[in-house]
Amino acid sequence: MTAKDRLLAISACAAALAFSATPAHADGNVTCDSGPQENWQPISKLKKKVWLERWSLLKTQVEGDCYEVYARTETGQAIEAFFHPVTLEKLVVFRRGKEIFRAKGFDG
Amino acid sequence: MGGWKKYLLWFVLALPAVSMLASLLRDSALPMDLLHPSGEMSVRLMVLAMLPGPLSEFFGGNRLLSFWLSVRRNLGVAAFAYALLHLAIYVLDMQSLPAILDELSLPAIWTGWLSLILMLPAACISFEAAVRYLKRNWKRIQRIVYLAFAAGIAHWLLLDWQWQPAAVHAAPLMLAWMLRLIARIRRAAGRTVS
Repeated sequence: MTAKDRLLAISACAAALAFSATPAHADGNVTCDSGPQENWQPISKLKKKVWLERWSLLKTQVEGDCYEVYARTETGQAIEAFFHPVTLEKLVVFRRGKEIFRAKGFDG
Repeated sequence: MGGWKKYLLWFVLALPAVSMLASLLRDSALPMDLLHPSGEMSVRLMVLAMLPGPLSEFFGGNRLLSFWLSVRRNLGVAAFAYALLHLAIYVLDMQSLPAILDELSLPAIWTGWLSLILMLPAACISFEAAVRYLKRNWKRIQRIVYLAFAAGIAHWLLLDWQWQPAAVHAAPLMLAWMLRLIARIRRAAGRTVS
């Protein structure tokens, strides 16, 4: 094995390492102050909330102590919305990193 | 570098893209899930392509750096390829031209387009004949990549509002540029003394 081959092997490992690293998630700094998880409502209940908003749902997930929804609005806008896991209240909505809605009094 | 080594390098560089496309085809990921990894890979490769230049100015020639310099054009082209993949995934995710045009005015989005557009000139002249034909201008055109990098980082920050991941990627470059500055100051001082 020549020196160049060794270097190539090292860089291959470095690339593999970079590839395996998991990316940090967007807007991970919203906090809902939602208490213990056993008091949370099932995340599937968000489907109805999303339907009531007339959004089309892409994905729901738990983000920190909040429920997070990725959806499209009626006009096709890509949005990310945070809901309170206990009350299922819509707390804050982002469009491509820009806040477009915030519930009155919510500062999480 | 040529022959099988080049193929091996491109094989390694293509692995993340293959894995992303496979997860799309298997339905284990939505297009939106791949936006972050593809964009991040593009930034990482851009950083890897931009590091060896300033580092070799400081450390001089050694085997690692000369190898790194010999593959950096490949890394740059791969960064552009991942940026294109990022765009393709974005189009797949949005699924509608009016929706794409509608969010073009958002700062987090137009900075991404700007970064891609700024990568174009450097990517277009990344072949041997262009290097020979453009001579000194080749390097000048390649420097537009600095602006592309800045726009890419702005795109990332404006979307995520988390400075740490972007800072981790920018930090090695900052350090390398600082070292290059030191090397240049030393050389200038050496010249005035002699």
